Amino acid sequence: MAIDIFLTIITVIFALMLVFSKRTVVSAFALLMTLLTLALIYFQLGSIFLSAVQVLINAGAIAILFVFVMMLINLEQFQNNREKSKIKLVISTFTMLVVLGVLALVINNNIETLSVNNLTDNSMNALFSKLFSTYFLPFEMATVLLLAAIVACIVITTHEKQLVEEETELHKMEPKL
Amino acid sequence: MSIYYYLAAFLFCLGLLGTIFKKDLISILLCLELMMSGVALLFILFSKSTGFLGAQLMVIFTMIISACEVAIGLSLIIALYRKKQTIYTDDIKIITE
Repeated sequence: MAIDIFLTIITVIFALMLVFSKRTVVSAFALLMTLLTLALIYFQLGSIFLSAVQVLINAGAIAILFVFVMMLINLEQFQNNREKSKIKLVISTFTMLVVLGVLALVINNNIETLSVNNLTDNSMNALFSKLFSTYFLPFEMATVLLLAAIVACIVITTHEKQLVEEETELHKMEPKL
Repeated sequence: MSIYYYLAAFLFCLGLLGTIFKKDLISILLCLELMMSGVALLFILFSKSTGFLGAQLMVIFTMIISACEVAIGLSLIIALYRKKQTIYTDDIKIITE
């Protein structure tokens, strides 16, 4: 029980750091630490495979991708001259409190049924036999989705002008060769 | 274990707050990632309390979808930065212009 509270407090601290820090690099670091502490929570709950996947994919790839994009974009040049709108903060805090209140009410009313441990077989064997039988079609659809995301990233980030210029330069090079 | 339910709800709501009140697009994407991780934690907790193993597989699918979302979102941000030289939501008024 003590370790539950400890992990929860650490996760909450890093999540608050993510939202309320002024520098975006610090936010990315806080996201990395939040994902790592969540991996610890998964490990403590018994789903070891998901904990490993969380460290490898979410913390190792996605959080680092954010840092790479921050290196491409020069954030420092327009970071300090932004004024904060107070009405936006009030509206977002109100929304957060309403949603949190509703969720806490729902959890509070069902806490006895929710905190029972009914999971008998938590092994990777059971997980993957289900993944490759019942959930095989969603799994294949996920691979198609990943392929579409790769193609979309290449199409979005490539300059049309740059492509045309490269082609014309190639045409100029040909007679010399 | 029951405290984790409140943690998941809190993470989701904090991500919602950040999504509304942050100003640059990278921070908004970071907060969306926080919301996704709160939902994933809730899936694992439900799998534990109901004994339904499919909920843990949903976490894997959630991770795949969030990876796609982040990749496309970041490439859109880079394309926008090349075109308009900014990533702040105040400076982008494509719809109202």
